[in-house]
Amino acid sequence: MQRVFETPSLDASCSQNNCPQWDSMGQLNLVVELETEFDINLEPEEIGDMRCFDDVVRIVKSKQQ
Amino acid sequence: MPYFVLRNNTVEPFFPKTYSFSGYEDLSLVPGGADLCVWFYQAPVCADTANAANQVRGYGEAFRYLLGVLPSVVPVVALTMVCTYSANPVVGNSELAQAVADYNAMLWRESANRTNLKVVDFAAFTSQYPANELMDWKFYFMGQMALNPKLAKDFGHWWTRQLDSIALKRKKCLVLDLDNTLWGGVLGEEGTDGIKIGGAYPGSAYLFFQQVLLSLQQSGVVLTVCSKNNEADVLACWQNNPNLMLRQEHFVATRINWDDKATNIRSLAAELNIGLDSMVFVDDNPSERELVRQILPEVTVPEFPQQPYQLPEFARKLVEAYFSVYAVTTEDMDKTAQYRANAQRAEAQRGYADYDSYLTSLDLQLTIEPANAHTVARVAQMTQKTNQFNLTTHRYTEADIANFILQGGHVWTLGVADRFGNSGITGCLMLTDNRIDSLLLSCRVLGKGIEKAFVRWVLAALKAEGMRTVQADYVATAKNQQAANFYESLGFMLENQQSDGQKHYLANLDIINLEIERYYHINTK
Repeated sequence: MQRVFETPSLDASCSQNNCPQWDSMGQLNLVVELETEFDINLEPEEIGDMRCFDDVVRIVKSKQQ
Repeated sequence: MPYFVLRNNTVEPFFPKTYSFSGYEDLSLVPGGADLCVWFYQAPVCADTANAANQVRGYGEAFRYLLGVLPSVVPVVALTMVCTYSANPVVGNSELAQAVADYNAMLWRESANRTNLKVVDFAAFTSQYPANELMDWKFYFMGQMALNPKLAKDFGHWWTRQLDSIALKRKKCLVLDLDNTLWGGVLGEEGTDGIKIGGAYPGSAYLFFQQVLLSLQQSGVVLTVCSKNNEADVLACWQNNPNLMLRQEHFVATRINWDDKATNIRSLAAELNIGLDSMVFVDDNPSERELVRQILPEVTVPEFPQQPYQLPEFARKLVEAYFSVYAVTTEDMDKTAQYRANAQRAEAQRGYADYDSYLTSLDLQLTIEPANAHTVARVAQMTQKTNQFNLTTHRYTEADIANFILQGGHVWTLGVADRFGNSGITGCLMLTDNRIDSLLLSCRVLGKGIEKAFVRWVLAALKAEGMRTVQADYVATAKNQQAANFYESLGFMLENQQSDGQKHYLANLDIINLEIERYYHINTK
């Protein structure tokens, strides 16, 4: 996420509300990276639910099981 | 503004972050100050074929509008349109396919009439992928992406290569092994008639490979041979095997011996007077490839296919990655003849008592003329490719040169011919505001004092027009050391020298010697 959003640091509080790079294009790039990195296929509904760091962790974990 | 993309879909992930983008189908901002304008309209994704065809025709109109309002000095690169989706129930209804074909034909037609417009074939990229990889509908519906964002990296490589080929950047020389590379089998064991070339597989695959290499040679790539063989065997094979496509006359230089290949490649580079970084080495033997990679890291060494039937795909990638170029000039096409004539000149030189009488015997014809619409492409190409005798190494595109002239700059080209052959346009001098912006000569014509005669003639012409002084610069690079003291040798005054090797000169045209030796025959137009 840090790489996609090009920020020097990033913690668990990161969300669409407080990270200016996490816009619609950022979301798209994040999905591409997550799907490639974890070899998963995210559904549009899940993508829509990913609004903060914890959402991302939860959804990616659920896909890996 | 740097590079600006006009588009109808989301394409940001495919281009470097420094690029700017229009809105979707938005022509309200004409990028008149852009260094490069990219036109990337993709085929509409639309279930209604008639509607889609209409949209395509509209995109064609939009493009022509842009060409009309964009200053003609802004370089434009347009991508062709590829129809990625169609749910057309009536197979015989070709309206959409026809509209896309017309659109692409229009792009090519326009590019033939404008030097600032280049068209790149997007199908060359998309044809490498199956439909379900090319497009991911999830990203289309969520982000209006008609191209799968997971192809961004591949697209990036492809795009960079397209821009390089437009800038006429490519490798100059291919160094080829013979046994199991240009033909199947080992000549020393199987003999002239035993090697596999032409006829049935695998000979047919090697013949195909030779055909691709021949077309590369005809486009101006210099072919050489580096092979561990008995030279007499190879020469006899080239003479006597009727199936070979590539023979001795296609190779500018050969190293057929038992020395190590790194040494041989180094000596080929020295003979042709080209850098190792402009050479590509093709050999089926992994240990030879590894040796060259280790000892000559500047030389490009691609992997070689395991099976002969993989040669066509290997050849395609070889051409695309290292040798594709947007257009070839007449100079390119004659390159083999020119390098050969150079070898003959070197031979002739040995028989003369002094250098002047040798130069006299050459019957040197220098043709100096202002750059024109036909030669601008060649001038741009020379600024891109000339490294050694290049005083400032300013790299220019065709549009840059056209703009330079439009802004009041002067560009002279130099053509060189002698009794051994015509080297075509091999030098240029660019001047703006009494300052020599660029001066360069191809290494193929160096060593005959031609550079001095060229500059003296131009300076004499400027003096005749009333110019009194000319300024000039030398900018040091890793490769242009041999030109470091050129202006001194002409009698220019060194004004100052910076720590990075940059030198600034002033020439008083009333004082310096502008006399040209009688053995240079100058033709002007």
